[in-house]
Amino acid sequence: MAAGLPRRIIKETQRLMAEPVPGISAVPDETNARYFHVVVAGPEGSPFEGGVFKLELFLPEEYPMSAPKVRFMTKIYHPNIDKLGRICLDILKDKWSPALQIRTVLLSIQALLSAPNPDDPLANDVAELWKVNESEAIRIAREWTRTYAMGN
Amino acid sequence: MGTCCCKNQPDSGADDDIIIDRREIEFISGTVTEDGLKSSALSNLTDKYVLDTLAVIRTLVDNDQDPPPSMLKLHSIADKEAGWLVVVRSMVQVIPLTDPLGPAVITLLLDDCPLPSKETVVHLCKFFDLSGESASESWKNPQLHRNICVVLGCIAERLAGPASIALLTNTTLEYLIAHLNEDNHPCVILFALIALEKFAQTSENKTSISKRLGHDPTNPLRTLEGWMSHSDYVHRQVGFCAQWCLDNLFICDGRPYSYENVDTQHLNAMLNSNDVSEYLKISPDGLQARCDASSFESVRCTFQVDEGVWYYEATIITAGVMQIGWATKDSKFLNHEGYGIGDDEVSVAYDGCRQLFWHSAQSQSHIHPSWKPGDILGSLLDLNNAQVIFYLNGDPLPPLTHVFSNAMRGFFAAASFMSFQQCEFNFGRKPFLHPPKDIPFQSFNDHAQLKDAEKIILPRHIRLQKLRAMSVEEGACTLCFDESATIVFLPCSHRGFCERCSLQLEICPMCRRHIKERQKVEEKLSVKEDVT
Repeated sequence: MAAGLPRRIIKETQRLMAEPVPGISAVPDETNARYFHVVVAGPEGSPFEGGVFKLELFLPEEYPMSAPKVRFMTKIYHPNIDKLGRICLDILKDKWSPALQIRTVLLSIQALLSAPNPDDPLANDVAELWKVNESEAIRIAREWTRTYAMGN
Repeated sequence: MGTCCCKNQPDSGADDDIIIDRREIEFISGTVTEDGLKSSALSNLTDKYVLDTLAVIRTLVDNDQDPPPSMLKLHSIADKEAGWLVVVRSMVQVIPLTDPLGPAVITLLLDDCPLPSKETVVHLCKFFDLSGESASESWKNPQLHRNICVVLGCIAERLAGPASIALLTNTTLEYLIAHLNEDNHPCVILFALIALEKFAQTSENKTSISKRLGHDPTNPLRTLEGWMSHSDYVHRQVGFCAQWCLDNLFICDGRPYSYENVDTQHLNAMLNSNDVSEYLKISPDGLQARCDASSFESVRCTFQVDEGVWYYEATIITAGVMQIGWATKDSKFLNHEGYGIGDDEVSVAYDGCRQLFWHSAQSQSHIHPSWKPGDILGSLLDLNNAQVIFYLNGDPLPPLTHVFSNAMRGFFAAASFMSFQQCEFNFGRKPFLHPPKDIPFQSFNDHAQLKDAEKIILPRHIRLQKLRAMSVEEGACTLCFDESATIVFLPCSHRGFCERCSLQLEICPMCRRHIKERQKVEEKLSVKEDVT
């Protein structure tokens, strides 16, 4: 139930439902309106194209004064996303601003899939390969996308 | 841990010894004919599997545990439509009226079987010979009719939509309504009522049920809601469900909502209707909770305790699986996954049905007998000595301490409920029946406070209406949308923030420049909306 929720969260939720972001779906959990089930489609032209990536997004008690917690649930081969699905993205950490929203966060994550940044790695071995042998890294990323992010 | 023990059901082909012989399945399929079931051998076998499942279900404590072989066999029988009928028929005939887990087991089994087609369901209704007349004979075999009602409710819920409308024919409706006669066995009334509630999940059905209930000179639910504080606990469940239906589903003209009449004087702590998983039903006085969903529903109390010694009691109304105890705000209610109170590292719970304690989703057995309706579960949280003690009718168990390695404060009374379970809490508004004698304690009701508005538990539809009507005022703060945007930041001159948010910021959310000054700008006159 959404009652008792901060109005900010209610408003963001309403807008996410009414005007969804293309390629992204974010649905609040039935029992916990601070918890969102997120699905991001792999961007065209990226090694993640064709994949469907599940994420969880949680709005902590202090939101929007502190950033949402977001994690990939689907395995992904990406230099800024580690084995546990944690994401290295500045706006989720020190560059968070309360003027940002769930919507903008998800757009940033979608953009991160289009443009991996191996110079600011979270998954060191992945970043290493991405720098030394980009085509091989992209091949593995494609393969992981096929194995883990398609057909479920 | 809660309901599901078959989420990880292996592929039917994976394990040969639990698979029914192919010929056996063909035998099943071949023997269900238009005029009913003829194979007594198979029926006996299915009956046995159903009873085995019922017997073994209370020993299933781990969500990762494999389902029992009897349950897997039932699943493979029910995999074909004809087999599904055999299984349903067995459940209806053999599940005893007295087993507190009986209806829950029917729900559990049906939930994991494939959905029946509309034809199969119609066939089932014919087979059971549902009608107003057959219902009037229900006193002869309350077990059979109780189970039929459980099955109907289950199917209505799973087939919500056009199939549920097709299933609620006039005769099915007459069958269920006829059960609501107060002279019937209360168990049959209860599950007929719950079945109607589940049919009403489809709005066309809700309309036709409401209409039908209005036909009789007195709406049978109005009589039944008078049983809310009946001395017999099955009657009391009927009262609870009748009242809930009248407040939430089958609204009748001229009847005030229960929350308008509830006495909230001296009520300072109650179940928190904003801190509850979605399907739990809470009474208008906030002290009783009941689950009729197939998920594992949880709730926390309104009052948080951080130090000292606290005690509350729960009257057990149904003897099935409930996990009652203490949780913090970090305890998540994962109702569909079957996780509730006692299933994480910051909560601890007592389960009087399976005779277990729960903590971190691990169970540990205790020496109390299984609880029964009318028993009083006492729950003591001693933060001075970092211990939790549970009492059944005043008889204490050894103290539990493990939860305190993960949390020392921020506790709430909390409970989780399996399907068709109900209990009533006493947070100290009434005298306790079995207060601990050797340890001085406090009660929430003596120390908590609630505003009048916080004591109102609105029926769901009214609450949703209010939520939908909630809009954002012109000129509201762009961060919280709660208060007016009255502040401008200097030197960057960005505006659109309220005072409360501004004070929590050091850099401007728009441009990230350091805020040197927060200047108040003229407040716009705005119309307050009427939603609280």
